[in-house]
Amino acid sequence: MGCSSSLPDRSSGQLAGLNSENGGVSDAKNLRVKLVLLGDSGVGKSCIVLRFVRGQFDPTSKVTVGASFLSQTIALQDSTTVKFEIWDTAGQERYAALAPLYYRGAAVAVVVYDITSPESFAKAQYWVKELQKHGSPDIVMALVGNKADLNEKREVPVQDGIDYAEKNGMFFIETSAKTADNINQLFEEIAKRLPRPASS
Amino acid sequence: MSSDSSSTSGDEFTNPNPNPNSTSKPLEDQFASAALTEPDNEPPEIQESPNGVVNGSVSENNHGEIERNERGGAVGSNLEARQSVRWRRTNSEVEVEAPSSPSSSGYAGERGSSSGSGSSGGFEMIGGGIGGDDDEIQEVSNVDSIQDSQASWMPGKRHVDEDDASLSWRKRKKHFFILSNSGKPIYSRYGDEHKLAGFSATLQAIISFVENGGDRVKLVRAGNHQVVFLVKGPIYLVCISCTEEPYESLRGQLELIYGQMLLILTKSVNRCFEKNPKFDMTPLLGGTDVVFSSLIHSFSWNPATFLHAYTCLPLAYATRQAAGAILQDVADSGVLFAILMCKHKVISLVGAQKASLHPDDMLLLANFVMSSESFRTSESFSPICLPRYNPMAFLYAYVHYLDVDTYLMLLTTSSDAFYHLKDCRIRIEMVLLKSNVLSEVQRSMLDGGMHVEDLPTDPLPRSGTLSPHLGQPRDSPESFREPFVGIGGPAGLWHFMYRSIFLDQYVSSEFSPPINSPRKQKRLYRAYQNLYASMHDKGIGPHKTQFRRDENYVLLCWVTQDFELYAAFDPLADKAVAIKTCNRVCQWVKDVENEIFLLGASPFSW
Ligand SMILES: Nc1nc2c(ncn2[C@@H]2O[C@H](COP(=O)(O)OP(=O)(O)O)[C@@H](O)[C@H]2O)c(=O)[nH]1
Ligand SMILES: [Mg+2]
Repeated sequence: MGCSSSLPDRSSGQLAGLNSENGGVSDAKNLRVKLVLLGDSGVGKSCIVLRFVRGQFDPTSKVTVGASFLSQTIALQDSTTVKFEIWDTAGQERYAALAPLYYRGAAVAVVVYDITSPESFAKAQYWVKELQKHGSPDIVMALVGNKADLNEKREVPVQDGIDYAEKNGMFFIETSAKTADNINQLFEEIAKRLPRPASS
Repeated sequence: MSSDSSSTSGDEFTNPNPNPNSTSKPLEDQFASAALTEPDNEPPEIQESPNGVVNGSVSENNHGEIERNERGGAVGSNLEARQSVRWRRTNSEVEVEAPSSPSSSGYAGERGSSSGSGSSGGFEMIGGGIGGDDDEIQEVSNVDSIQDSQASWMPGKRHVDEDDASLSWRKRKKHFFILSNSGKPIYSRYGDEHKLAGFSATLQAIISFVENGGDRVKLVRAGNHQVVFLVKGPIYLVCISCTEEPYESLRGQLELIYGQMLLILTKSVNRCFEKNPKFDMTPLLGGTDVVFSSLIHSFSWNPATFLHAYTCLPLAYATRQAAGAILQDVADSGVLFAILMCKHKVISLVGAQKASLHPDDMLLLANFVMSSESFRTSESFSPICLPRYNPMAFLYAYVHYLDVDTYLMLLTTSSDAFYHLKDCRIRIEMVLLKSNVLSEVQRSMLDGGMHVEDLPTDPLPRSGTLSPHLGQPRDSPESFREPFVGIGGPAGLWHFMYRSIFLDQYVSSEFSPPINSPRKQKRLYRAYQNLYASMHDKGIGPHKTQFRRDENYVLLCWVTQDFELYAAFDPLADKAVAIKTCNRVCQWVKDVENEIFLLGASPFSW
């Protein structure tokens, strides 16, 4: 064994699951959280993550296979840092049964739909129910209406998003991965809502 | 094979075979022992040699056509009757003209009851007239500027706007379909699956009609088209082709397409059809068009698709050892397979204990990873199934690109091993960087592998110090080249492929003039593929050597129990010299086997 023995910040080579090895929380000042993105294929989950992590937007669609893992750390005003360990899932039907693999143990779930697609809004509601049934009980959930730049093609009214989120105790925001609108705000708002570990 | 074979000992060098168990003699001995007296225009018969290695017949035919018996036992006589079948488009009905077959009328009735939701049910095989060796349409040139080369190939599905009513669709040279046994389309190479519902229903009707009749339809010839069927439980696969590839090759391609589907979904999709025969499978394959189109494209450039062997990136022995050692380390910590690849070539691979990885699984896995762009964006963890390993279960693949072409795949049975595999990758990456493996990989990519121009002269005067070796800079004064006229290697050698049977690996020479366009390369691979099929055709008997001459090449094939050699020469090449050259190629392969093959510690050696 000892696969990770040469790595400073890894405790051991045990099979630690998709959760961070130390439970996702480091200390009161430096949080580490597992975040999963769910939603229909094509709503822009990968674009949101790449905009957040790399500041890029690539309009050529690269269909996600299985799930991609990326991480990004942000600093908050109160001088705490939050390291997001992000699972960007594929959203295709064939992986639906495997989704628990990725959302199990997640502290944050971001459910994304496309404001030009009512079907994707329905799919988002499916994911919310799924998370309410099988996710961690104290999971922080955000509902995201993406592609806000396509307002002229909008088919899901803002109010529908707001209402649904409110009913389900979620944080709601509309974003555009294309223009970067509200992308950082999304993650900052999530960071603010995270339960803080009792300081030592 | 045992690891001691990796050392090249001096007293072995008359044996051209990298395998120590080899009993095969040099090729000219075999021809000689068969008393080949080279009457140039007469097909010589090779008799069985005393050691039993050569027991086939060598046939040469200056007029280009190799005599082939009919397609062998597999196709069987029940198809002979159907060879004159013609299908015609008549307003949404299929007419089968098969005078010798009593089945036609019954068939038409069957068709009526299963006419699907599509706009057009019938289809027509287009006979004659379409030449060239390209799978793509020839005539409708404005839509089809896409070349068949590997370089210019564009990923993704093309011509989605087509359906079976479009002329362009019907003129495509090679179609592939997947459908369910209730006739629901699952995949089509060209055109939108949903628009092809009627066509799918027609295919389904043909298959189920024949199946109900007790025999299994495998091949239908219609004009210059072949229609090849493969039935896998509730899944039907169909190829319609006028490329003149052998039935066995097309069937092998359908097997790979099925394997690719299993890699994505596992065989448990069959259960969906048990629950609901009308189950629509297309959503389950959502976003995977590019995986299938890239596989189908590889049928025309990647010999692994018919050799059922994998190929390695040429590397110094120590470099590959260094990569293997760190992968082994990781495999010992509970990783089932650790595979390091550069494009479709293996750098090193290691399996836990006795887990063995089939070359076809490697092909399908590499195709899946390379064709799915998202793997390049970031590390990922995805369920995949290795159909030859276990078609029923998902494994989990950690995939990470180390540079543009080099990627690491760590496979595990444990669905929550991600962080462990991520740690393993970090360790592997550090070791690879420290030991310069990645820069060696880059260099090898630039240098390429074996070039026919570098084929060493007769091995006899060779001393140990001057042994030819891949790393030597080409065009250096030391590289002894035989004077020869024209292009290519000595004796008119243009290209070769060598497949080691025990290693499950092959090596092929780099393409050089005159085989320098994608079209010519594809034509040569097709010729090799035909040779391969004829050498492995049980219906014909165990051919062990074959010599073919046509207007394009001289092709020489030599099969022993240890290896298979396929070589292409100038069509004017002298036969005796070509045979001698093949022996030199085998010797050369042996001399550099440490660099071109992954030896020892492979999951294939038990
Ligand atoms: N106009 C617009 N297009 C977007 C936006 N986000 C993503 N897209 C496009 O939507 C498609 C799917 O995006 P992707 O991130 O792959 O979706 P995913 O399947 O949810 O990961 C891509 O072609 C993107 O270019 C956005 O904010 N605005
Ligand atoms: Mg995605």
